[in-house]
Amino acid sequence: MGTVAEPLPAPATAPPTYAEVTRDVIATLRPPGRKYYIGLAFVLAGLAWGAFCWAWQLRFGLGVTGYQPPIFWGTYIACFVFWVGIAHSGTLISAILLLFRSGWRTAVYRAAEMMTVFAVMTAGLFPILHLGRAWYAYWVFPYPNFRGLWSNFRSPLVWDVFAISTYLTVSVTFLTMGLIPDFAAVRDQARGWRKRFYSLASFGWKGSDREWRHWGKMYLYLAGFATPLVLSVHSVVSWDFAMAIVPGWHATIFAPYFVAGAIFSGCALVVTILVPLRKQFHLERYIQVRHFDSLAKVILLTGSIVAYAYVVEFFMSWYSGNIFERQSFYARAFGEYWWATWIMLSCNVFVPLLLWFKRVRTNLRALWIISIFINIGMYFERWVIIVTGLSHEYEPWQWSYYLPRWPEIGILVGSFCWFTMWFLLALKFLPVVAISEMKEAGPPPLRAGARAGSQA
Amino acid sequence: MMERRRFLQVAGAAGLGVAAGCAPERHHLRPYVNESDDLIPGIPEYYATTCRECPAGCGLYVKTREARAIKVEGNPFHPVGHGKVCARGQAALQGLYDPDRVREPYRRTARGMQPVTWDDAVARIAAALGTAAASGPDRVALVTGAETGALDAFYDGWLAAFRSHRRLRYEAYAYEPLREAGRLTFGTASIPEYAFAEARYILSFGADFLETWLSPVEYAHQFAQAHHYESGRMARFVAVEPRRGLTGYSADEWIAPRPGTEGLLALGIAASVVRQGHARLAAGADADRARGFLARFTGASVARATGVEEAVIDRVAREFAAAEPSLAVAGGVACQHRAATQTAVAVNLLNYVAGNVGRTVRYHATSPWDRVSGYRDARDLIGAMGRGEVDVALIQGTNPAFTLPASAGFAAALAKVRLKVAFATQLDETAELCDLVLPDVTPLEQWAELEPLAGVRSYVQPTMTPVFEGTRQAADALLAVAAKAGKQVGPAGATTARELVAAGTTPDALDDLLQHGGQFAVAPARPVRLAPDFARLAFQPPAFDGADDGLVLIAYPSMALFDGRGANKGWLQELPDAAVKIAWQSWVEVHPATAARLGIKNGDIVTVTSPHGSVEAQAYVYPGLAPGTVAIAIGQGHTAYGRNAKGRGINPLDLLGADATDESGALAFCSTRVTLARTGRWMEPATTEGSPRQLGRGIARAVTVAGALKGEVEPAPEATLTPSEQTAIAAAAASQRKRAYIGIYAQPNPKWEMTIDLSRCTGCQACVTACYAENNLAVVGEEQSVRHRNMSWMRLERYFHGDTTGTDWDVRITPMLCQQCDNAPCEPVCPVYASYHTPDGLNAQIYNRCVGTRYCANNCPYKVRYFNWWDYGRPGDPYFCFEEPLNWQLNPDVTVRTKGVMEKCTFCVQRIRFAQNDAKVRGVALKDGDITPACAQTCPAEAIIFGDAHDPDSRVSRSKQDARGYHVLDMLNTKPGITYLERVIAATEA
Repeated sequence: MGTVAEPLPAPATAPPTYAEVTRDVIATLRPPGRKYYIGLAFVLAGLAWGAFCWAWQLRFGLGVTGYQPPIFWGTYIACFVFWVGIAHSGTLISAILLLFRSGWRTAVYRAAEMMTVFAVMTAGLFPILHLGRAWYAYWVFPYPNFRGLWSNFRSPLVWDVFAISTYLTVSVTFLTMGLIPDFAAVRDQARGWRKRFYSLASFGWKGSDREWRHWGKMYLYLAGFATPLVLSVHSVVSWDFAMAIVPGWHATIFAPYFVAGAIFSGCALVVTILVPLRKQFHLERYIQVRHFDSLAKVILLTGSIVAYAYVVEFFMSWYSGNIFERQSFYARAFGEYWWATWIMLSCNVFVPLLLWFKRVRTNLRALWIISIFINIGMYFERWVIIVTGLSHEYEPWQWSYYLPRWPEIGILVGSFCWFTMWFLLALKFLPVVAISEMKEAGPPPLRAGARAGSQA
Repeated sequence: MMERRRFLQVAGAAGLGVAAGCAPERHHLRPYVNESDDLIPGIPEYYATTCRECPAGCGLYVKTREARAIKVEGNPFHPVGHGKVCARGQAALQGLYDPDRVREPYRRTARGMQPVTWDDAVARIAAALGTAAASGPDRVALVTGAETGALDAFYDGWLAAFRSHRRLRYEAYAYEPLREAGRLTFGTASIPEYAFAEARYILSFGADFLETWLSPVEYAHQFAQAHHYESGRMARFVAVEPRRGLTGYSADEWIAPRPGTEGLLALGIAASVVRQGHARLAAGADADRARGFLARFTGASVARATGVEEAVIDRVAREFAAAEPSLAVAGGVACQHRAATQTAVAVNLLNYVAGNVGRTVRYHATSPWDRVSGYRDARDLIGAMGRGEVDVALIQGTNPAFTLPASAGFAAALAKVRLKVAFATQLDETAELCDLVLPDVTPLEQWAELEPLAGVRSYVQPTMTPVFEGTRQAADALLAVAAKAGKQVGPAGATTARELVAAGTTPDALDDLLQHGGQFAVAPARPVRLAPDFARLAFQPPAFDGADDGLVLIAYPSMALFDGRGANKGWLQELPDAAVKIAWQSWVEVHPATAARLGIKNGDIVTVTSPHGSVEAQAYVYPGLAPGTVAIAIGQGHTAYGRNAKGRGINPLDLLGADATDESGALAFCSTRVTLARTGRWMEPATTEGSPRQLGRGIARAVTVAGALKGEVEPAPEATLTPSEQTAIAAAAASQRKRAYIGIYAQPNPKWEMTIDLSRCTGCQACVTACYAENNLAVVGEEQSVRHRNMSWMRLERYFHGDTTGTDWDVRITPMLCQQCDNAPCEPVCPVYASYHTPDGLNAQIYNRCVGTRYCANNCPYKVRYFNWWDYGRPGDPYFCFEEPLNWQLNPDVTVRTKGVMEKCTFCVQRIRFAQNDAKVRGVALKDGDITPACAQTCPAEAIIFGDAHDPDSRVSRSKQDARGYHVLDMLNTKPGITYLERVIAATEA
């Protein structure tokens, strides 16, 4: 107690030079090998299966799912919340840590930001996928129409529409903005159609002093703009539940609880993605163990908040004296869904305790496995909240039990494939490590002779 | 004939067709060739007729739209039913429009069923009859269901024309023990009229008078008059039965004597009445005889035999005699063992000593049951057929091949008959055995005249042209056969049933009768004297087949399917059993102690074995059984009959021996001991039951009479909690009520509200089926019912209350439908305003605006929103449920919902709007009572009151002021539009 763990020092090896950064990062964009195509084919097949499942559901109706009244929401909404949650860590890492001047974010933020955009793109599908009449999904938008119909701004689902679309817009803009100097760097080395693509994508970036100045301001401004979204978007998502009167949903803790959970799961997925990526693309010099150590600490912090929220939820249900809340939470822990709840608790509360040990935090294999557990646990958290809440409501006569059926599993798998597909494609078009910011971190290239003076 | 909707479709399609030149189908708009003067498209017409779904004969008004019957309602002037209809009566429409109906005559040949013409069929029958009649008397048998009146006389005359009197008016439940007991005790083999409404104390020995017994709708109506709470008064109801079914749920006390000893208990009570000096016997030899006879039954001996404490016997006797008048009835499973007649005699004596005979038990000159054949008659006919003494058998309107136990050998005997003719609406088990299957009409397409009560002439008239052109009423066909055979039967020149029915009346008189439904002058009661014959019975507990350590099998009629005749109707299959709440499936009710001993849980598939057979079905652990019994409902287990019935569930009659009868010759349904064995397999029950306990949530509440008098309301959930819990909930409610201004809907609009009096509601579920009929609800089938996806907008939640290990517990039933909350949680969450509030206080659901987020259903605390998981209304979809001609029944005023939208109760908004428009057109003000939702209309107990709560004088406004009124889940501040009046339990004073 009383001591603060120092960040791991940078490794003793010499930092990469500008040329090395450019070379190494651009190397990741080289034409892919067989493994890549096999992976891509695999995810496309999974996506096709998910698409088929949805087509099946559209044709016959939501009856093909496992929904069993009164459990009217299930796997799809759990997926929605899961993916929105995943998205949050990207913005946290790129925007909030930028504002806090956390140097370690440099190596990982691009991957996290890409993850954000693709996760929002995935999440946004689910509110549509789960509709009874998905072909009328546009009715939730307040667009002028001759029928004089409008959307209901009291409904948290309409808030969702705005939250998600705002978040998607801002995170895409933020990602694009950060990519401009990197695209220019790639452009300078590319040939053929790639050169034309990167020329277009870099908006004619020349790297002039004025450009850098404007760019830097804009980037900072966007970071400031994105920061509140980290808190607001998932708060809005949590209100889908907290605004309802369902016991187990109707709680004021939901917004902070969901935001913490979102960052927790998002950082875990960043680890899940970066560990193999780093190995595959030989980015060990850029994405270092100390970066993972820092990520693990964020996971540990947010995980503790999540664990605290669990305790508060159970405590409040008991302390409130509300028999509906009490029954709901009793059923959550010891009812038919005990297995889901205990998977959630084990993965989100007990497994992350290992991260208190530095040996675990710096062991990438262990960290990677823990991150998988957290992903599973956080998926179950959403599932548990939604399903156990709905399964034990006010009317005991209407208690029931739900398990997903194949179309839901198919669409769940499809959503992972959809996300992975975008990520795989992006890996070959977008520099996965920020070239410009990596260079900022290293020593600037100086003419011979200037070195001694600068070192003085 | 074309509906408005269809017209618009056609008009639209025609317009498109002109524009695009690709109209998919050519449609024609054709005017009526002969337009009816009084038929206005869009305005319903009603026909008065009589229900024939069971022999009770309730009066009906059948609503037709554009010449199609779409809804069954009660005839309020009819002495049977008083304007109320049960679930089975409502479902008559599904018999009418059953896609499985026989549509043309068939003949069985070596190559299977071959269509024949009616002329051919008539000629064949006439020829066979000629031969049969020539070869001797009684070579022809005519089997019908219970018949009275003109058609009954015609059938007898027709049979006589062919030198036969082998007439069987076959009913599975013919109440022979009651008739025999009447003969033995009062010298009249008749069934009396039971005046439930007048009784102040009702003692039922097994009679399921709210379910199937004799005239359940009328009795439910009367029972509610006696047993509902008003100003501190209500009758007390004690049920003595080995299985507490729906009727027993209304009981204030349940006594479960050893199975078969109900009669002894009745005698013990009667003896105790005499012993305690409460007997109301006029001086005379009859009274002395009764006293002398009853002296045998000492309290101790009866207590020993029945297992009921002497103190209880004496108390019930005291209460029974003190109530003036009281009523004891015997029936149901307490009257279906080998001592059934003895039980009925004992109950007659009990009524006699309490002075009820002539007051609440009234004998008339006749009763509709007097000529109904019993099981003994059925066996006689089986014997005659088996010996080859019958050449031609004609069977109409009854299904003995299903309702007789297989061991009775009906099928084998019938096979020996040369020509077997079935007048059938469906290809049921009996029709499958026949050589000629002739398509009969259903009760809503036929002519008849019945006498459901002595002195009452109740008419049956077609409510529409027959659905299938090839069908003919059996009587018409029989007239044609007689004519072909050269016989004159019935009034001269009569060729149709209509003429048979019209005989003896002038056309004007007939018009008047048909308009009113008949002539309803109930004949006066006649006095009866105690007959000496009863004393010769043994009055011993009955014998049971099977091992002594076995469980007594209670095979009882299903409330919805009755003796099995309802099994092909989707509405009735989907209606959860009133007590067990399982739909579509068969189950075996197992006493909790037995279940614990054998390790049986709900859904475990068990084998039930008797000396006569064995069946397999899922178990349901049910506390409403006497220890050592097991119960199975009759009605499922069809091997034919149609898509919904065939191959579904089990038939407990397979476990019965054919020889198990009592003194009256009635089949003893509860005369077998069985053994239970687990199979190790399990199936998921298609139940609506989530939790059988309401866990102190105050959803269905009750108080005692004394409590109700003091204006007490049963402790709501709050009061059963600790102080800290109460504070918490009160605080939550207070914070909600700060926003109470939300949901106040101001004058001048009406505010539609409802009250449901739980002291009247018996849980019969007639309202549920009425709702299906009125609102085009989808029938989702077994597989979807298993997954709780029933669309029933109204459901009856049945909660057990108290310690169910003994008999001292009660059942709380709540009809749960949309509460039409003023502060509705479903409304703000809908992103597209599909769920919104009308100015007159309804939670409207706009089906074509709904996108299907289902958020409203999540947020509804009452769980009364139903989602269209499939396209139930689209032909070709896997769960399409309105197959032609079932779709003819659809109410044109109500949308058929498509897949992906939420639906719910609307308080029958179409009826509200119709009545409002009608009043507007006529230029009059809408009166209280002009609008009645389908559920309230049909409720036999009149538990539901609907009206405008802004009108201080409306019945609903006054009713909701009742001190017993409460709102379900009031602390959520949803401000429901439905006020429940809590049930009142007439607890014993002792």
